[in-house]
Amino acid sequence: MGMWPFGHHDPSKPSMGRVLIVDDEENIRKVARLTLTKAGYEVIEGKDGADAIEALNSGENPLLVDVIICDIRMPKINGVEAISYFRSQYPSVPIIVQTGFPDLNLATSLMKQGVSEYLVKPVDNAKLVAAVAKAVEGREMFTT
Amino acid sequence: MGAEQSVNIAILGGGRGGTALIELFTRCHGIAITGIADTNPEAPGLRLARNLNIHATDDPVSLVSDPTVDLIVDVTGNPSMPALIEQHKSPRAEILGGTAAKLVWSLIQDERDLYEHLAHAEKLSTLGTFAAGIAHEFNNPLHMMLGFAQLIQDTQDPAEVQEYIQEIVKLIKHLSNMSTSVNLYARTSAQGEMVPVQIPTLLDEAVRMAKFSTILDEVTVIPQYDPVPDILAEPGELLQVFMNLIVNAVQAMNARGQLTLRTRVEQGSITVSVEDTGPGIAPQDLARIFAPFFTTKKSGKGTGLGLYIVDTIIRKYGGRIEPRSEVGKGTAFRIHFPVTGLSHGTRPSPQPATPASI
Repeated sequence: MGMWPFGHHDPSKPSMGRVLIVDDEENIRKVARLTLTKAGYEVIEGKDGADAIEALNSGENPLLVDVIICDIRMPKINGVEAISYFRSQYPSVPIIVQTGFPDLNLATSLMKQGVSEYLVKPVDNAKLVAAVAKAVEGREMFTT
Repeated sequence: MGAEQSVNIAILGGGRGGTALIELFTRCHGIAITGIADTNPEAPGLRLARNLNIHATDDPVSLVSDPTVDLIVDVTGNPSMPALIEQHKSPRAEILGGTAAKLVWSLIQDERDLYEHLAHAEKLSTLGTFAAGIAHEFNNPLHMMLGFAQLIQDTQDPAEVQEYIQEIVKLIKHLSNMSTSVNLYARTSAQGEMVPVQIPTLLDEAVRMAKFSTILDEVTVIPQYDPVPDILAEPGELLQVFMNLIVNAVQAMNARGQLTLRTRVEQGSITVSVEDTGPGIAPQDLARIFAPFFTTKKSGKGTGLGLYIVDTIIRKYGGRIEPRSEVGKGTAFRIHFPVTGLSHGTRPSPQPATPASI
């Protein structure tokens, strides 16, 4: 189950934005959660594509997610399927792919679908924060 | 020639020609080898025939006079053989000898080269998927290790530091186990010698390795191993067979369901079965799955050579594979190997487990 609508957030700081991290590996979600929470983001989690889609749809206002970080190789609904769903349902929410597969063809095809970053694991924590910040900034420009 | 009606062939000559003919004919559907004869009882073709439970004799006359023989292939190169065959063969048997037999022999050489190329192409294709899978399985723990290490850099809290260090230690152990598995696989695959093979051990290794080609997280693997005798084979080839069947099964189930692996002795043969709870194979496809280049996977996803090579390898060891499938229920591939008289493996069946821990 996803944790929508109550994500992890450091209440002492104003939220910089809300991030959905989708990865089947618990510790990868944990690293992203700890890193992004420290950087001021609110983090919600999905352990696979189906779980993430459920988490998004069970919220009161799905557009409150500012960026989605998504793995590719996952059970149930895989990343490619999940991303195409996110793009069709929430076209304004930027997507960052974070995967263990350095696949140039896949990266190109996902970028064409509007994915904003294709990060290959292992990803530096600072790089992830920078990618999220850039995506959130782009989204703010897009929505205002 | 009807599909059910097989041609019965007698082979004369147990040298390189006869050996190649056995290898080819055992791979072909619709051909049955009545027997092979050579005056030298230790000729390599006769030895191969005995391993495959094919009738082998040092008396050519008794073989050619068998009334069920449709075709006699003479690769002895012995000038007195044609007259001997004419004298003793049954009236309906045809003869392939002399230049025609030489021509067939060179076609077989070509066919064998072609097969080697196909098998190599399939191996490269499998290896590509496999290497990407290994990279993925290594990149995930590396990612977490990097993440935890950087979190340690950024924190002052000793409890947090302890927690992250513990995670990193676990991840290093996990990586080290994976490295051992891959190493073991590399050694098994490279082994080109015939050695006694414990089938259950090899099936377990195939499951561990299949994890690199497909996702096994939501597949329940149920090993049901009765003790079976070892079989004499190149372990790398059998591992390729088992991995191919396991990966196919998991893909057919869309990575969710039950994978049952069985070994048992049945009616004097060793039976190995790989069963899935996938959607099954349509009857019209079932008849074609072992044909080269037949695939139901999306273009670019499968070479159509996997099951063809599986079938070829199994036949090489005198075995056969039969698929049973029920649409909506699942598919079972059963392999039957002849018992080669090796000692019984006594490994007990382990508890059902998911292969999450590698």
